[in-house]
Amino acid sequence: MRSFQFTRSLWRPRWHKVTADLWGNKVRSFLVISSIAVGLFAVGLITSMYVLNGEDMEAGYSSVNPASIQVFTSLYEEDVLTHIRHVEGVRQVQGEYIFSLRVRRSGGEWKPIDIHAIPSIEQMDINRVHLEKGVWPPRDKEIVVDSYKLPELPVGVGGLLELELPSSRTRSLRLVGAINDQTIGSTGGGGFFLAPAQGYITLETLDWLELPNNQMNVIFVTVDRSPNDYAYLREVGNRVSDAVEQSGVTVYSTAIRAANDHPNRVYVDAISAVLFVLGFLVMFLSGFLITNTLSALLNQQVHQIGVMKTIGGRRGQIMGIYMVQIFIFGLLAFSIAMPLSSQVSYSLLGYFSQAVNTQQQGFRVVPVSVVLQLVVALIVPQVAAFIPILHGTRISAVEAMSGYSQSNPPNPKGWINQRLHDVRGLSRPLLLSLRNTFRRRGRLFLTLFTLTLGGAIFIGTFNVERSLSSYIERIGRYFMADVNLTFKQYYRIEEIESAIKEIPGVRQVEGWTAASGELMLPDGSVGETTRLLAPPSQSELVSPILLEGRWLGPADADSNVITVNERFRETYPNLKPGDIIQVKIAGRERDLQVVGFFRLAGKSSGYLAYGTYEYLSRVIHQPNRANTFRVRSEQPRLNLQEQQAMGRQIETHLEALGYQLADVEAGESLTATTADGLNILTIFLLIMALLIAVVGSIGLMGTMSLNVMERTREIGILRAIGASDRAVMELVLVEGALIGLMSWVFGVLLAFPISSLMSNAINLALFGAAADFTFTPTGVFLWLGVVSVLSVLASVGPARNATRLTIREVLAYE
Amino acid sequence: MPDSDVLISLHDVTKAYKTPAGDFWALKGVDIEVAPGEFVGILGKSGAGKTTLVNLLTGVDHCTGGEIEVDGVAVHRLKENQAAKWRARNLGVIFQSFQLMPSLSLLDNVTLPMDFAGLYRPIRSAERALELLRAVEIDEHAFKLPSDISGGQQQRVAIARALANDPPIIVADEPTGRLDSSTAETIFAIFETLVQQGKTIFMVSHDPGFVRRYSRVIWLADGLVTDEPQFDVK
Repeated sequence: MRSFQFTRSLWRPRWHKVTADLWGNKVRSFLVISSIAVGLFAVGLITSMYVLNGEDMEAGYSSVNPASIQVFTSLYEEDVLTHIRHVEGVRQVQGEYIFSLRVRRSGGEWKPIDIHAIPSIEQMDINRVHLEKGVWPPRDKEIVVDSYKLPELPVGVGGLLELELPSSRTRSLRLVGAINDQTIGSTGGGGFFLAPAQGYITLETLDWLELPNNQMNVIFVTVDRSPNDYAYLREVGNRVSDAVEQSGVTVYSTAIRAANDHPNRVYVDAISAVLFVLGFLVMFLSGFLITNTLSALLNQQVHQIGVMKTIGGRRGQIMGIYMVQIFIFGLLAFSIAMPLSSQVSYSLLGYFSQAVNTQQQGFRVVPVSVVLQLVVALIVPQVAAFIPILHGTRISAVEAMSGYSQSNPPNPKGWINQRLHDVRGLSRPLLLSLRNTFRRRGRLFLTLFTLTLGGAIFIGTFNVERSLSSYIERIGRYFMADVNLTFKQYYRIEEIESAIKEIPGVRQVEGWTAASGELMLPDGSVGETTRLLAPPSQSELVSPILLEGRWLGPADADSNVITVNERFRETYPNLKPGDIIQVKIAGRERDLQVVGFFRLAGKSSGYLAYGTYEYLSRVIHQPNRANTFRVRSEQPRLNLQEQQAMGRQIETHLEALGYQLADVEAGESLTATTADGLNILTIFLLIMALLIAVVGSIGLMGTMSLNVMERTREIGILRAIGASDRAVMELVLVEGALIGLMSWVFGVLLAFPISSLMSNAINLALFGAAADFTFTPTGVFLWLGVVSVLSVLASVGPARNATRLTIREVLAYE
Repeated sequence: MPDSDVLISLHDVTKAYKTPAGDFWALKGVDIEVAPGEFVGILGKSGAGKTTLVNLLTGVDHCTGGEIEVDGVAVHRLKENQAAKWRARNLGVIFQSFQLMPSLSLLDNVTLPMDFAGLYRPIRSAERALELLRAVEIDEHAFKLPSDISGGQQQRVAIARALANDPPIIVADEPTGRLDSSTAETIFAIFETLVQQGKTIFMVSHDPGFVRRYSRVIWLADGLVTDEPQFDVK
């Protein structure tokens, strides 16, 4: 043992000091390493998530070989596909028969399901799916569904799924698997979240569903090059449309989508935007956390620096000792933070990829994140500690040992001391606490800044979450009806209205119409598919969020005016209120005048336009008739359950009268579905707020604990002159609470610009416009609670340790 | 005393400290000369300026006025780093409160000045440190931490550390001030042995007990050298 110790002593003792300091004061080393590690963890987590988020979405989407062009047509046979394969620019072609049925859901009600009947399903190469459960492909009389909607179905994999056929008869298919289909929502319309459940069957199963099994109505095309170039895709798309029509098949609509443009890209982009801003802020937070921690650490070493200088240590030699020590701290913190942040980011993204329907690409370490963490772990601490080290080694040996500065003697007449002196009625110990708080202003500034930044990010994240949530509430104003009915065919409005009004409690019934149209581009080519909704011009069931221009009114009853959503603005930035656009509706091109822009659920909600019922019903040749009805109860503000009960009552009544309903949807549930994507973001923001709170908390505890540890000797002196443990505890707690409280006040103030920055980032990604500023007291008071509790906890631990030491030990403490 | 026999020379040395109440003059013009091999005791009451004198002589602090020369080196002109390098090779410093590195073993505390001075290779410095600890009869505790041993034992380690680079001069600031009389006697005996071995010792103290055992006593009062003893000499 002795020889081993002697061998150890053959290292240069200055390096031995490095390891001895690390190991000798384990609590202090733990606090320093955990404070650095938590900062690194935050940086690693956010950068990893930022990189993986984008990479997973693009790689995952490209890997399914998504259709660049989707053509919706009248029924056609296989030979049309052969013709399309020869069109210039086409690489692959695949046909499908996509149609809507109704499926019985968990609650017993019937809901729409889109069925994809795929020929040679085992060889399907475009819009590939990823098997999550059960088997793929399905065989005859079997069905596979998308896993996102699986929980809403009454049976799991292995069960029998009940479908309602167009003839109103029901048939069952064995549910054999659940898959992930990333292309859901890729055709525009309502996007992924508004899409109904998706089912996948073989072409042969169509017989069982009373449908012909040799026809299709959708053509999927991939291109030979530049799959991300929209101009090229449109060019090939036009050629394909022409070729389809030359084959005697009618083209209803065409959808173009780049191979890297996941249907939920907007949500992924919004998450990335928040991560980018958070990453930037967290870098600062970590930097300050590390600076603060190391400054506290080095402050405790000033006396030893003085002794080392006296026994011959030069500045460079002493600086070397501390730089190596800090290097080791950084390395240890990195070795904890790096794997942890990689694992947590992967798990968190796993949750989000499921929520936004992307395919996670397997666990991997992100090189950029590792490099950034290494830089933060090894360089930032050196930079952060350089000034305290320089300061420590620059003060003369006599100052270092005595703690008395000749060049800057203490000034009891300082402004703060004077103000404290003026405050009457304060006890001596309280006065001492207050003076201690302001004694080292440099340290106080660093501690306050770190805590303030952590608090501001936390509060800011809550504000952004609140802003999104209140926006989701506003979306409800597009769905003010209590029950939304969709019929399988058009009925006379008066007839349905009087039938529904037979039910007690119904206040209002509105017949709406809807149509799908294709935007015609100036060069005559077909552009985006647009969904047109047409409430009566005097409807009070829509209260839009207008971005520009105006909404529709009774004066517009017979005119060709429309309002369009934010997606139009994104694609056609030059479009202004008053402009005329051409839309092909029911086979004829129509001039429609845009009078306003409204905002719905973001750029991913597809191309949506509102026109007047009076105009659109004429265009589609269904005047005074409608297939969708909005019903409002006499009772205001029904909740979801009440709306659903009303819906069931109406459905039973109408079906008894022989009307064929396709869907019955509660208003609240429609709002919730529309806002599904935004809800994912609010959950994401809450998780981020929680993480920031954890980072801030550990940082806060580390900083405060180090502050108290630094005062161990002073605590010993106070006890030696008669201060009770309780008095010492009070002294430390008041100081901790005061610092916590000050940081809270500053944090609330700094939260304003940070909230605005984050809100704008997320809103630009979602809506292409800056956000309305929202400030919620939730984050403010939660952070006050966190700061208060942590300040106390962080101060009590070291203070208790200090009071447990004997006075002799404490006075000898360094 | 001829100039060639002067190892330490302080000429008209003054030192003022800035305080909120204005400058406080701790030394008001001190002249002292010490020959090689002398065991000089600087004695005075608390506040006489003894520790200030040690700080100036060792170069850890700078005088406000006057000149300090040690073995031909103008200590008052040395910059902080030069002073550290000079101290490492020429001076051993012993403090009243020992000032050992708390996280280092006794052996490492003694090898640390050798490491800073770079005079010995690591293996040789460890051997030498053990020899020095043996000389002060503390080698059996060589691998303990300072907190594991008594104050007297810590001061022995501090003496061993002061001798680490074999400096010709030892400066000690109240080295027996925190020790009981019997331990103080042992420590003082070590200093006497060192003087017999040819070291020059410059020791400040307010302890009248050892007055007769210095080769020369210089009295200090209110920042000035005085011929008047400041307390009863037994």
